[in-house]
Amino acid sequence: MSGTGGFVEADNAEAVITRFEHKSRKIESILKQSKPVEALKTALEGSPPNTRDERGKSSNWIVVHRAIMAIKDLDGLFASLDPEHYDILMKYLYRGLSTGNRPTCDQCLRIHKRLTERAGLGCIARSLADTINTV
Amino acid sequence: MANSLRLYLTCIRSTLEAAMCLQNFPCQEVERHNKPEVELQTSPELLLNPVLICRNEAEKCLIETSINSLRISLKVKQADELENILTKKFLRFLSMRAEAFQVLRRKPVQGYDISFLITNYHCEEMQKHKLIDFIVQFMEDIDKEISELKMSVNTRGRLVAAEFLKQFI
Repeated sequence: MSGTGGFVEADNAEAVITRFEHKSRKIESILKQSKPVEALKTALEGSPPNTRDERGKSSNWIVVHRAIMAIKDLDGLFASLDPEHYDILMKYLYRGLSTGNRPTCDQCLRIHKRLTERAGLGCIARSLADTINTV
Repeated sequence: MANSLRLYLTCIRSTLEAAMCLQNFPCQEVERHNKPEVELQTSPELLLNPVLICRNEAEKCLIETSINSLRISLKVKQADELENILTKKFLRFLSMRAEAFQVLRRKPVQGYDISFLITNYHCEEMQKHKLIDFIVQFMEDIDKEISELKMSVNTRGRLVAAEFLKQFI
């Protein structure tokens, strides 16, 4: 699940569900320790942009959404997030913005502004142009 | 409240700056034709991911890009029935005069109030950052216009009603 190999065919429903449950339990425990930045990093790692399965993508979105909403301190977030996660975070931000839910959109707009300042327009261009690895 | 509007417009501005990279691309299917690919939607390799940016449940902006054209569709906030009617009439007035605006689309995309279509020819004739400034300024001004119209309708209605009812006093 490092994202460098081929496509992971997760047609197996159990595999999707177990992966999702495992991840959400990990995220919950990290959030309980009040480390929202760590939670977001864990949620973004092993993100399945190379999974064709819609269920895998939606369950991963739920986990990432939970982590994004828990973030309060944006400076701390960008101080510790690796640049390799910027592109995936941008794709999830756009997914969040398309939901239309007010608190989600507010939070996503805030993070989007800071992420654009940090990562530049190239990050946005990559999330628009990448039709193969979508979240 | 004003802050969320600022963030919304900033997000749209940066997305447009990244998405407005248009070049001339003659039609692949019909020779000697040059069509805006975002309107046709026939070749998936020429289209980018459409992006939907919502500020809340009522306001949203859909940005669809392709190799030679970009379509921006806006849904304006309409709080009550009166604003609904005013928005529809005002934006229909603008859309009918789309020739004068050049980048305006005559009919809005289904589900939205107004749409812009920017092609590579527009980007060649006009400056990219000025086009983006125009779109963002338009979004700011629309809200002001609609509230001004609503206020003037209410004021006029109040005056007319007062005059009319005087005869019954």
